[in-house]
Amino acid sequence: MKYRILISALLLAGLWSCQPEINEFEPSKGNADFTTYMTAGNSLTAGYADNALYKSAQENSFSKMLAEQMEFVGRQGSFNIPYINTEDGVGTGGGMLFTKLKMGFTTDCLGVTSLGPVRANPNATQQELAVLLGTPVADQGPFHNIGVPGAKVTHLLAPGYGSMNPYYGRFASAPGNAVIDEIALVKPTFFTLWIGNNDVLSYALAGGAADQITPLEGIPGVGFAASLEAVLMTFKATATAGAIANIPNITDIPYFTTVPYNIIALSEQGMVDQLNAGYAPYNGAMQQFGLDYRINFALGANPLVIHDPTIQVPPGYEALQIRQIKAGELVLLSIPQDSIKCAYWGSLKPIPDAYILDEKEITDIDNAVTGYNQAIKAAAEKYELAYVDMNAVLKQGSSGGIVMDGVSFSNTFVTGNAFSTDGVHLTPQGNALAANTFIDAINKKYNASIPKVNVAQYNAVVLP
Amino acid sequence: MRLQSSRSTGMGLTGTGLQLGASSMFFNPGALSMMETKTDFSIGVSGIISKISFQKTGQNLVSETDNKLSTPFYVYGAGKIGEKWAVGLAIYTPYGSSAEWESGWEGRLLIQNIALQAIFFQPTVSYQITDKLGIGAGLVYTSGSVKLEKGLNYGQDTYVELDGSASSLGFNLGAFYSATEKLSIGINYRSKIMMDVSGGDAKFHVPVSVGTNIPTENKFSASLPLPGNLDFGVSYQATEKLLLAAEVNWVMWGVYETLEFTFEEKGELLNSKSPREYKDTFIPRIGAEYKLNDMFTFRAGAYYDQSPTNEIYFTPETVSLNNLAFTLGVGIHPTERLSIDLSYLQISGLGAEKNYQPDNFGGTYKSAAFIPGFGLSYRF
Repeated sequence: MKYRILISALLLAGLWSCQPEINEFEPSKGNADFTTYMTAGNSLTAGYADNALYKSAQENSFSKMLAEQMEFVGRQGSFNIPYINTEDGVGTGGGMLFTKLKMGFTTDCLGVTSLGPVRANPNATQQELAVLLGTPVADQGPFHNIGVPGAKVTHLLAPGYGSMNPYYGRFASAPGNAVIDEIALVKPTFFTLWIGNNDVLSYALAGGAADQITPLEGIPGVGFAASLEAVLMTFKATATAGAIANIPNITDIPYFTTVPYNIIALSEQGMVDQLNAGYAPYNGAMQQFGLDYRINFALGANPLVIHDPTIQVPPGYEALQIRQIKAGELVLLSIPQDSIKCAYWGSLKPIPDAYILDEKEITDIDNAVTGYNQAIKAAAEKYELAYVDMNAVLKQGSSGGIVMDGVSFSNTFVTGNAFSTDGVHLTPQGNALAANTFIDAINKKYNASIPKVNVAQYNAVVLP
Repeated sequence: MRLQSSRSTGMGLTGTGLQLGASSMFFNPGALSMMETKTDFSIGVSGIISKISFQKTGQNLVSETDNKLSTPFYVYGAGKIGEKWAVGLAIYTPYGSSAEWESGWEGRLLIQNIALQAIFFQPTVSYQITDKLGIGAGLVYTSGSVKLEKGLNYGQDTYVELDGSASSLGFNLGAFYSATEKLSIGINYRSKIMMDVSGGDAKFHVPVSVGTNIPTENKFSASLPLPGNLDFGVSYQATEKLLLAAEVNWVMWGVYETLEFTFEEKGELLNSKSPREYKDTFIPRIGAEYKLNDMFTFRAGAYYDQSPTNEIYFTPETVSLNNLAFTLGVGIHPTERLSIDLSYLQISGLGAEKNYQPDNFGGTYKSAAFIPGFGLSYRF
């Protein structure tokens, strides 16, 4: 009898607590209403990565991650994304279309093969890429993600912007629409906005040689602050809550920090002497002009020789508008490395201005970013929005690095895990980091509990 | 885990102050010379069904382990030589753990699955100094293996597989004192054993392009310490039918400071040194045995096992929480010589939020283990 009781007790004890239960986190919407979530912004919001828009990158955008996590706190219905029907992607730059970058092997002019970004399909024709990009998808709308690659805050207000930017044109619900006109079709209750990067990046990506920085002041459509407010007011017509992210400093983005300023490595004294002899007339001329510029080479790492059209030389001496780059100045990732290695760029030939951000350009950019971020913070306060300090996160990434679930993030190109092969846009893991940064800010502002995403479940840069 | 006697398991895993026959070779070799019969053969096995749940900080989903059934066993044979001496051989598996996390879980870059196994061979000799005092010593030869898989950040299906084995020596010393007819006292020291794995197989499942930096086939070395124990136990025959036992184990986990992996090739890239910073723990145990009649004996016990882990270096590879455990047991004696022992041990790993700071990975862990055991002893 006692034996039987004991057996029953054992069985009961076993069944009673088979899998230990944990319930430390109860998702909650707090003071916000996440029923209908909508997001606007630029390429980062759209899910542009690896220098192109492609479907799986759109699926791995931080905004889609947010939409999924918001399902735990009351988001209803589908989250429509204007998917592009290609995995090779379509990117734009310099008036050309191309497929995305991926990691592959390339052989340089010296015959050295190494791993680096290559085009997914170098044989894709302009025509077929134009068809992929131009195929309208508006009939699948209205869209909850209206991020437009290349868009500045001023562009979001521009009627007919779709005719200027095919990334919007492909999903614009009407040809004459401005991007913000899409908002009323969705009637969001909650929104996120991450915009302003291109207002300064377009200038920076061109090495300061083309485009211009959006001024902070000015009427909507011209000035940054007023345009931002116009977008926010459009959202606030239906949305009672939202989040707005600020923009990173360019010195935290690998596109601007990967190529060192002193990349010219000299190991032979003969070469040093030859270069110095070659630049002796330049140094003499500069002395004559009363200018402080001198070009000197030594054994070891040497700063690049760059073209600088701001150097004031007497008329007819424009060929001497060159100098050695300074330590704080930035060389863009787009610089053709083969030209440095084999065509004497940076030593015998000056690097074209478009690959360099000089001191003044950097200062202009830094000032613009500071001004934008002040405007974004002020707007967050005025419209009672969650303020997402993405700038601080990226700064942390470039100073000490960020570790999350065993993933180490930094602003190192490719191996830093955060940035994709274009050095500007985020990897899926970088998007997960961005999504968690949004979630932290939203949870804090609205006393909500949106569960975070797992960064380790997403990929960093995929290697062959 | 000291599942080295089904009778002891029923009594809260006490044993240092108990006369356990051949099982005393593990719990206290000093008691062996004082065993009641000339010869004792014992075998036993337990089945560890263990579960771990984990909820990452700031998250709603819970990950679980699907651990393989682990089956520690023991085989003992001991006999007396003359009045004073006893010798025996003990084979047992006191360390064994496995954890298999769901594939693609949040902590995949820390650990995916791990299995540790060690088998101990212990020839033992014991000498009875007086009627009341016995001492004993065993030389411990250990053969163990470790196998683990850990995700790498080159994509979801990239990981490293480590598989190594080690053998090592240690010792086991004990003294047993029957202070009175009713009261016995035991003290036992089992040395720390360093399991030095060298030349273990390391396989890196990485993209081809990474293969130039990280060889896919490599060899590794690592040191895993099995901590020393100093145990002090008493037993008291309260009535003719009721035996009470209590003890405390000092487990010297403090030796586990870092986990270091050294690789034969590309060590400069692959070698790792991760802090663990364990601390010594004290485990109090109580147990009781009630002899109903010549046929049946019932047992019960409990203990509290504090986690030796460090607050900021808690990894999911060995989820060691504060454990509260209850035990039950029954002994059946069909003949005078034979006893069949059944035991049941239930361990609740108390839920707690823990972090592994170097990887910024933390959340709430909770664990449970259900361990039925079975033992046979034949004495004559």
